[in-house]
Amino acid sequence: MKKWISTLLIASTLVGCNSGSDETVSKTNDQKDEEQQVQKTEVVFWHAMSGDLEKALNEIVADFNASQSTIEVKPVFQGTYEEALTKFNAVAGTKDSPTLMQTFEIGTKYMIESGKIEPVQKFIDEEGYDVSQWEKNIVNYYTVNGTIYSMPFNSSTPVLIYNKDAFKEAGLDPEKPPMTYSELKAAAKQLTKDGKYGFSILNYGWFFEQMLAVQGGLYVNEENGRKGEATEVAFNGKEGLRVFELIYDMYNEGTFYNVGQNWDDMRAAFQSGKMAMYLDSSAGVRTIVDSAPFQVGVSYLPIPDDVERQGVIIGGASLWLMKDVDEEKKKAAWEFMKYVTTPEVQAKWHVNTGYFAVNPSAYDLPIVKEQWEKYPQLMVTVNQLKETKATPATQGALISIFPQARQKIVSAMESLYQGVEPKEALERAANEINRELEMAKKR
Amino acid sequence: MPHTVKRVIEGGMYILPSLLLFSIFVFYPMIRTLYLSMHMTDFQGNPTTYVGFEHFVYLFEDRNFKESMKATFLFVIYTVPPTVIISLCLALLANEKLRGIQLFRTFFSSTLGMSVAASSVIWMFMYNPAVGVINKILIALGGEERQWLLNPDTALAAVAAATVWMNIGFAFLILLGGLQNIDSTLYESAEIIGMSRLYQLWRITLPLLSPTLFFVITVSLIHAFQTFGQIDILTKGGPMNTTTVLVYSIYREAFVNYNFGFASAQAIVLFFIVLIVTIVQFTFAERKVHYQ
Amino acid sequence: MSLLIKKISLYAILVICTIIMMFPIGYAFLISFLSGAELLQGKWWPTTWSIKNYVIAFEKVPLGRYLWNSFVVSFIVMVGQLVVSSLAAFAFVFLRFPGRDLLFFLTILTMLIPWEATVIPNYLTVQSFGWTNNYLGLTIPFFASAFGIFLLRQHFKTIPFELYESAQVSGMKHFRFFWYVVLPLSKTSLATLGVYSFLTTWNMYLWPLLVTNDESVRTVQIGLKQMQTQEMATEWGVVMAAVMIIILPTLILIFIGQKQLQKGLMQGAIK
Repeated sequence: MKKWISTLLIASTLVGCNSGSDETVSKTNDQKDEEQQVQKTEVVFWHAMSGDLEKALNEIVADFNASQSTIEVKPVFQGTYEEALTKFNAVAGTKDSPTLMQTFEIGTKYMIESGKIEPVQKFIDEEGYDVSQWEKNIVNYYTVNGTIYSMPFNSSTPVLIYNKDAFKEAGLDPEKPPMTYSELKAAAKQLTKDGKYGFSILNYGWFFEQMLAVQGGLYVNEENGRKGEATEVAFNGKEGLRVFELIYDMYNEGTFYNVGQNWDDMRAAFQSGKMAMYLDSSAGVRTIVDSAPFQVGVSYLPIPDDVERQGVIIGGASLWLMKDVDEEKKKAAWEFMKYVTTPEVQAKWHVNTGYFAVNPSAYDLPIVKEQWEKYPQLMVTVNQLKETKATPATQGALISIFPQARQKIVSAMESLYQGVEPKEALERAANEINRELEMAKKR
Repeated sequence: MPHTVKRVIEGGMYILPSLLLFSIFVFYPMIRTLYLSMHMTDFQGNPTTYVGFEHFVYLFEDRNFKESMKATFLFVIYTVPPTVIISLCLALLANEKLRGIQLFRTFFSSTLGMSVAASSVIWMFMYNPAVGVINKILIALGGEERQWLLNPDTALAAVAAATVWMNIGFAFLILLGGLQNIDSTLYESAEIIGMSRLYQLWRITLPLLSPTLFFVITVSLIHAFQTFGQIDILTKGGPMNTTTVLVYSIYREAFVNYNFGFASAQAIVLFFIVLIVTIVQFTFAERKVHYQ
Repeated sequence: MSLLIKKISLYAILVICTIIMMFPIGYAFLISFLSGAELLQGKWWPTTWSIKNYVIAFEKVPLGRYLWNSFVVSFIVMVGQLVVSSLAAFAFVFLRFPGRDLLFFLTILTMLIPWEATVIPNYLTVQSFGWTNNYLGLTIPFFASAFGIFLLRQHFKTIPFELYESAQVSGMKHFRFFWYVVLPLSKTSLATLGVYSFLTTWNMYLWPLLVTNDESVRTVQIGLKQMQTQEMATEWGVVMAAVMIIILPTLILIFIGQKQLQKGLMQGAIK
């Protein structure tokens, strides 16, 4: 008998120790919370910004907290967008729920359907906030059925980046980057030599979506899912096929370099001179220009010959308000959102990260002007967005199974390098995504 | 009878803490998984409609699932035998009585201290086609540059090589412990009767090491079936699903696609595969294992 | 003479194996001193040995706090696992009672369950206990370890059963036998399990990310992830510096633990 008792004792003291120490920890936390609540409303802000982006974000938050005395925003890193969403699923509506959360663009429909969020439109209406000061193309993406659900925050688009020195060496004009597929192919041919390649695209669904949209191609039916629930993919038409054929042809001509799925590998390959042109996010432009040991040029996304340029889709992420938190916290979060979209803050954000300014008047501020003088490449990215026509194609697709769709597209892109015909690869991806759409309807 | 009851209670007391924790954190979620595997789920993971075995039926038609089964088994074959054999060789080497052997033992077990995240980051860099050291060495030796992680023929083997490296430290340490536990007088007597070293290895070392070896093989097998971190960091399941092992596929369905029902069905399949492999291993191997 | 040749060749093999095994770590060490530009140009030997990357790593994320949290969590899990596992393993080897084999089978079964499949229900459980964002949620779910029980059972089985029988005859209580005979004879395995559980806990990523909400209890692996970016270029030199900072404590533990293991082994050998 005694031995069990002693066993139990050991066990219970152990547990006791832990819970004991823990209680004190949580108590001090509570006390802190209480003290803060007396003075300030705490807004917990979940984000997925890491590295330099987190640094820039934390600066903005710190400035906001210092600018007034009633609200305290607490930024918390929650892993990747996917990981943050997983956690959001579990905590939405509980005491662990954040007030404000950042989610990537392909999670838009997912968030709306979760029923756990409060559209920012509510606050816009209540206050009569003037949305026209925001970049119309960015607002366009996050407007669903006439309602703005979330606050656009970090937005980027794809651009063509090229090595000017390599252009000179190959006898090309470094100020005249290729704008069409045939120019691109010709330039890539001239740039390919001695184990160096002409062109590359990351195996990432986003780039395919963009190359589709720039031709005016839709990703799914029902006007990209904006008019009604999308039931079938539409990317397997001629526009999608042109993109796949471009990759397939260039790869077989030996002018296209496969960089895989990793952004850093892609940039390492470009900077070490492995390939002379590639597609990148506008948010990566500044670091590339800074770290490349050669002159870097930035240009628009190439389009097929004889196709009218439609423009690009906004990528990136937006900020969402939770429904089940105190009204006071929501109001505080809204104050923060308004602060974030002021031209001054947006100018700083744009300069530090390369993301677009949600509020275009930021571009007129001196710090942006200065930056643009130093990095004229950034202007190209802004112009490409400004020239975008607002159509369902450039508004971007609205489907809840976007993550799956991207995986299937990546697989299809990879199969091109293994000699699978473009038509076949495209159809296989289309069939698989159609099945996912069908399954999603059943849920 | 009361004697038996007393025994059950007494045995139960020792096992209770484990049992309680297992019930809450393993058995309950497993039953939940089984339940979810027969339902469609909404994006929050709540079951919506009962679909019976529909997920399972689809699984066996799905070519992606076939690909991931193939990747899983290949991965096990690529990692478990090399890990065990290399670790055994290192353990035998490090079991020699030499000056400074302690230092070598420490070096050989060092990868045990490397987290999957940290190791994968390092290997990702080593494999990088443009700046990585592996291609540099290869080119210096007159070879051709290769895209290790992007070529469907080499990607899985490349991930496996990194995994073997990560796992050696652990297997080595356990095997060395087993070797050290063997009674040294046995070897002394073997020397006296003039047994050769190779014969000693075969007749004394391996039989007496067999419980440890059995343990290492079992654990390595289970770990191999459940590999996740290095795949996520090195290849994300690509190229063309050649490295999408089952656990990665489960993770992707559940955490990226929010398809919990389908993910649960795959988890159940994985569970049964590992269960069968382990039962086979126990029934065949434990008979051959010698306990001192 | 042949003995000398044998010794030299043994050392040679040992050194070659060491170089191969340690190469990735050494490589990471070199990279951690390189600047971003040097790296992308494919250099691998630092021109200057500046610790700039290490300083930046500490500035970027609260690594000091994370290291401490990792240490506390790993230590608690280590102690918890040793207690819980040794008790269960003892029962599985020395006590005879109906249902014992079934229970052992159930224990082994838990090893086969893919962790990814149980994460979500477990997260909800921990949350309903109110254990999120504190050390409880990070540690208690890991106290019971099938691996630990299995490892200790394998070792306890090598303890001669006659010892147990004679203890029974002399009227020694089970717990005394467990405490004074079994545990001292199993120092090796206990040490191995202790080191192992410490290391695996140190290396967890997904679970700590889920159950923690802020940096007060977050662990160091999250810090590593926090330094890598997608859309902007990652500073690999800094990331490698973080890798070195993160692996240093565990490598030191192995340096020390290895010697402790050796001592335990010597004592364990006396039967």
